[in-house]
Amino acid sequence: MAGLAPRVEYLAGFCCPLGGLAAGKPRVLCHGAEVFLSTGSELVYVYDREGRLLIAVYKFPGQVWHLELLALHRALYVLCARSGIYCLSLDQASRSVSRDDEDDRDDQDSEDGQVDELPAPVIPVHPDTCVLPSATLHAFTVLDDVLITLAQGPTQWKVQVFERPCPGEDPRPGGQIGEVELSTCTPPAGSLGEPTAPRFLPVLCCASPPGSRAPHGHPWGSGGVMLEGPLFGLLFGSDASLLESPVILCGLPDGQLCCVVLKTLVTSRSAPGDPKALVKILHHLEEPVIFIGALRTELPSEDVEDAYCDCLVALGHHGRALAIKASWDEAGHLVPELREYSLPGPVLCAARGRGGHVYHSTPSDLCVVDLAQESSPWDLTQRDRAPGGLPSLLCPASLSACSVVTLSVSSRAPEGGAELLALSAKGRLMTCSLDPHSETPHPTRVTSANAGQKIKELLSGIGTVSERVSSLKKAVDQRDKALTCLNEAMNVSCALLSSREGPRPISCTISTSWSRLQLQDMLTATCLLENSSGFSLDRGWALCIQVLRSSQALDLDSAVSAITYTIPVDQLGPGGQREVTLPLGPGEDGALDLPVTVSCALFYSLREVVGGALALTDPFKDPPSNECTPDVLPEQEGVCLPLSEHTVDMLQGLRFPGLAAPHTQALGPLSPARDPVHTFLGTCCGPVSQPAGPASLRAKYLPPSVATIKVSAELLRATLGDSHAGVSLCCATLQWLLAENAAADIVRAQALSSVQGVAPDGTDVHLIIREVAVTDLCPAGPIQAMEIQVESSSLANMCRAHHAIVGRLQTLLREVQTLRDRLCTEDEASSCTTAQRLLQVYRQLRSPSLLLL
Amino acid sequence: MAHRTPPGSSASHASCLDLWREKNDQLVQQAKVAQDSGLSPRRQQLAQDALEGLRGLLHSLQGLPAAVSVLPLELTVICNFITLRASLAQGFTEDLAQDIQQGLERVLETQEQLKARLEHGLRGLWDSVLHVSSLLPELLPALHHLAGLQAALWLSTDRLGDLTLLLQTLNVSQSGASEDLLLLLKTWRPPAEESDAPLTLQDAQDLRGVLLTAFAYRQGLQELITGNLPRALSSLHEAASGLCPRPVLVQVYTALGTCLRKMGSPQRALLYLVAALKGESTWGPPLLEASRLYRQLENTAAEIECLELLVEALSVAHIPEAPQLLIEVELLLPRPDPASPLHCGTQSQAKYLLASRCLQTGRAENAAEHYLDLLALLLDGSEPKFSPPPCPPGPCVPEVFLEAAAALIQAGRAQDALTVCEELLSRMSSLLPKRPRLWEDARRGTKELPHCSPWVSATYLLQGQAWVQLGAQKEAISEFSRCLELLFQATPKDKEQGPASSCEQGCTSDVALQQLRAAALISRGLEWVASGQDTKALQDFLLSVQVCPGNQDASFHLLQTLRRLDRRDEATALWRRLEAQTELPQENAAWSLPLYLETCLGWIHPPDRETLLEEFRTSLLETRDL
Repeated sequence: MAGLAPRVEYLAGFCCPLGGLAAGKPRVLCHGAEVFLSTGSELVYVYDREGRLLIAVYKFPGQVWHLELLALHRALYVLCARSGIYCLSLDQASRSVSRDDEDDRDDQDSEDGQVDELPAPVIPVHPDTCVLPSATLHAFTVLDDVLITLAQGPTQWKVQVFERPCPGEDPRPGGQIGEVELSTCTPPAGSLGEPTAPRFLPVLCCASPPGSRAPHGHPWGSGGVMLEGPLFGLLFGSDASLLESPVILCGLPDGQLCCVVLKTLVTSRSAPGDPKALVKILHHLEEPVIFIGALRTELPSEDVEDAYCDCLVALGHHGRALAIKASWDEAGHLVPELREYSLPGPVLCAARGRGGHVYHSTPSDLCVVDLAQESSPWDLTQRDRAPGGLPSLLCPASLSACSVVTLSVSSRAPEGGAELLALSAKGRLMTCSLDPHSETPHPTRVTSANAGQKIKELLSGIGTVSERVSSLKKAVDQRDKALTCLNEAMNVSCALLSSREGPRPISCTISTSWSRLQLQDMLTATCLLENSSGFSLDRGWALCIQVLRSSQALDLDSAVSAITYTIPVDQLGPGGQREVTLPLGPGEDGALDLPVTVSCALFYSLREVVGGALALTDPFKDPPSNECTPDVLPEQEGVCLPLSEHTVDMLQGLRFPGLAAPHTQALGPLSPARDPVHTFLGTCCGPVSQPAGPASLRAKYLPPSVATIKVSAELLRATLGDSHAGVSLCCATLQWLLAENAAADIVRAQALSSVQGVAPDGTDVHLIIREVAVTDLCPAGPIQAMEIQVESSSLANMCRAHHAIVGRLQTLLREVQTLRDRLCTEDEASSCTTAQRLLQVYRQLRSPSLLLL
Repeated sequence: MAHRTPPGSSASHASCLDLWREKNDQLVQQAKVAQDSGLSPRRQQLAQDALEGLRGLLHSLQGLPAAVSVLPLELTVICNFITLRASLAQGFTEDLAQDIQQGLERVLETQEQLKARLEHGLRGLWDSVLHVSSLLPELLPALHHLAGLQAALWLSTDRLGDLTLLLQTLNVSQSGASEDLLLLLKTWRPPAEESDAPLTLQDAQDLRGVLLTAFAYRQGLQELITGNLPRALSSLHEAASGLCPRPVLVQVYTALGTCLRKMGSPQRALLYLVAALKGESTWGPPLLEASRLYRQLENTAAEIECLELLVEALSVAHIPEAPQLLIEVELLLPRPDPASPLHCGTQSQAKYLLASRCLQTGRAENAAEHYLDLLALLLDGSEPKFSPPPCPPGPCVPEVFLEAAAALIQAGRAQDALTVCEELLSRMSSLLPKRPRLWEDARRGTKELPHCSPWVSATYLLQGQAWVQLGAQKEAISEFSRCLELLFQATPKDKEQGPASSCEQGCTSDVALQQLRAAALISRGLEWVASGQDTKALQDFLLSVQVCPGNQDASFHLLQTLRRLDRRDEATALWRRLEAQTELPQENAAWSLPLYLETCLGWIHPPDRETLLEEFRTSLLETRDL
């Protein structure tokens, strides 16, 4: 392997979607000089390597997911998504060459090897020519006279065996030989949603025992492998060996590796196969299976041309590789030797080569690993390897080509080397030759004849290197950026966490107001995020606002169902402000359960900033997703910094249409949501009587509910203090209660002591403040108190308002308490009287003065 | 929510509703055209297009807020969509339940009752919807149709409890809430659709008939398996009297035949089986059942003839008819289960059954021919359509080889038997143990063998027997010795190793292994006897009595040899033991040995045990008298 120097040569470019080709569906196959290629679109290209021209383009009715070539029968089988399997005759393809040869030759003669798709004739393939129509097929393979397919049923994968249809034949649904169901699969959810294309397709591989007739095509084709007897018997059991039956190996996207003995799979419609008897699970890779194949790792004892494979290999998307060999223990028994390796992932595609080589491609490199016994004498891993066993470690060697989405090992390999045919994510078809002799430089004289060739090689070498450099550079840039972001995030977090006291460098203030949104009045919360720190909030920061409704807050079960809004903070520099407005309600049902708790926090997503850089993927090739981000960053990993919390209660939610304020006047009484379509549909519902529910009846005939709260006037005066000088205590109290409501200013301006408000659901709420004297509480005489009266036709709203007022008073009490505590610690003598007084007030407050009528 | 009529919009709405209706009717017609166009990709395409069309129509209907006047159409479209989807996929999936749920929620949406009932799941939804629907009689036909589909879904997923409750709610107008699902299905009367209702692929009445037949058959089969025969009989009669497609009718008649056979009415059973065979679609299950019936009646000729017909019937390629684009009875039946009495297996399984029955009933020539046919069927890959091995529930492939060899020897074709054995050994060669590479294991003392050794040693045993038949004593003795060498190396540890399947384990059961050893020892002993080396024979017989004390044949051979060698005391002691044993009830009948071993044990059976005992008794008395 060390002697192999890669040499990459570009053959042609094919059109690819923006962002490059995704791995999984493109295929490339070669047969002699012909290359068959699909890029995952509807097109299948036939390209002639020798003439360096596109021979034909076939257009299928759907995306092409798989190609298989049956060289012996000169047939190309094509799996078309949601349509079925088509069969093209190769002779047909070559005939179209000769026809178009003369016309197109001149156009194709472009120097850079790029092929435009236009000159080649696009031959549409009609859906009626489908030889096996089925909308659920996900994979297939061809073996001699049978066609094996893997279809996705409603709940399970299903292996089906058909008689192999030939090109130009009519579909024969009666040609089914057998079927069996594999393990469960989870189809994408969504009842009416369109079925989405799967990200990973299952993989099929046909393993034949040594005695059977040679499988089709050349041994390095994409189809079957031939296993040597002991490994075959060990893996699939003595029945399969005795019957000399081929075995279908299936690698499923959930990681399962299972096998079905083909000869046992002959069933009729009345009795599909029993999965328990027919399907054997060999292994579970726990990640989507990308490749299954077999290799010859030991040198054949004699000079046998067709050495059977002695090692089964499976490769998963994240790089987990499995190798199974048969060996004999010291007692002479046949035992399986099974090893798992970890290769760099994510693996886009893989192929097996000669002599224990497995090629696999990741977004950043194309590598080769060697499972053979005699890899290199100076290999350190050689020592801890049992004779005939598998290496304990695999060392991938780079072949200097990145983002190869599909690979095929060419049959035209140079002696001792290999030639790969690869399609890169940018749609370039290239060959990668591994020539064992090229490392020893040939001091040949540059002649004019080979100079052109030499220059061409150098140019293509530069091309490969530049593509690789750009990918590596992108990765480095990504890491650099991630580190800068992390540093900033660190600074911000420190600043926020160290300033427990005093104003925080980054703050979020929440206020509420009513506004009209989409024909409906909405109570909206406005969160103002201010960055007064010296750092800027960059990519990765998000403002999380959680809205918790009172009914949910009370109900423990649904507490988790609070709504959380996450708003990305995109570039908030020092001194910057960002305002976010959220609707709090009422919802479609017209109800708004107050109080509502709004809490704000800053969230920094490590996943978003660092994930991409750690995964080292090219964002264009492999979109960041759960699969390709390493496990070090779980889904919700990040830093959360709480900023503030605010409770919106009834007093804030009240509206006062009666008060003359120009902007509130505009908001008329609440009207139910009227969707025009709704109205339109309502016409056919006929006249529906006005709702005569108990609520409206009660409103009409029952007196409103009333609650009063009495608070010591002394206390209020002391606390409200100077700020309300010049107005009556009643007005000051009302103003204090409605401080966070837009109506506070009007109350102040008009010196009101009672207001008529409207609750969010449209019922009236009346607040009246009076001065009263409470006589029966204190023996010392009547106490001056303020009576706060809440009146509403809706009991629920009355309770909510009452609850809000009690909440204010509790806050007040807490202030008193802290004041008292502070006083205790201060000079006792000087503040003795104040303390006394406050204690007295406190005691008064503690006495039961809340009267509910 | 109050709906008021904005002026001038009713006309446009009506036309919109009509448009949607026309679309539905057109799609239903399209599906029916597809139904009639036979098996072709075009049919598939047409049906798929109709399905997509219904999906699109449903999307547009559900994009608007629910309204009572549109709901009958919307529910009908849901029903058509589910019917087409389930029949195209040949099964019900979970997301169909979601479609039903969505339809029900839309009904509740018009009544503003959505929130309260959601937590009770689909069943709770049905409760509230049917409660609501009493206020909205125009929805009833469509709702009953949807309920029929829900019933089909629950029936196919075996949620019979939910199904019973649903039917009870549907039947609430009828008197009395029965627990019997069959009765509930019978009393359910889906309201007739009005003549101007939107077109449906399958109406509720039809669906009810399908449900009734499917449920009766499922229940009958279940009771047949659990052994509740009278109830099975009545359920199956119910299924047979309903409307059902021919293949299902064949199954029902066959099940009736099984049931009646088990109830001890073979003549009535035969009548049903004959009726089933007139069904002309699938002959397999009734023929297999008939063979069981004749076996029970001990009419071997008829039994074998049935099995021969079964093999014939299964060799005819079964061309499936295109499934209807409707909910059919087949769709609601449980998945075919190999353990079911109606499972007839594949051609090679039938062939194996025929061959082994021939061997068991003493038709060795026929058995040999059938075994050779079976092997050809299994191993000849030249035909494009090959046949699977009869493995599980039948024997595994090595056992088929061994039985074939035994049948050939039984039929006097020793040379062919040797060929079969050689073929078996060559095919297993790669799985045989290699000679130990290292000497380190010598200290472990024992040499274990891989899992296939019982078969390999049985092969040697049969090869030896073939040589015996050919009169080649030397070869026979050497084969028996190879067999014994392998057998005595085998230890119980072997069971842990190798990819052993269930039948491989069965083959290595301790009893079978003991009997195999005894058979090999007796066989070799008999050869020693034939060559006149009685002491060597004595050694083998003694050993065979030791390894398998339950095998009386070994004791008889030992007794004979002792007698021949004139070792009277030992012989007398052994005779006493044998006399005591023969008085005890024979219990070895309970062992089920592999057929090849049974056959082989039959060859080494001492010809006349009773006379031998009698002779010995008289000779003993004579010596005493002397």
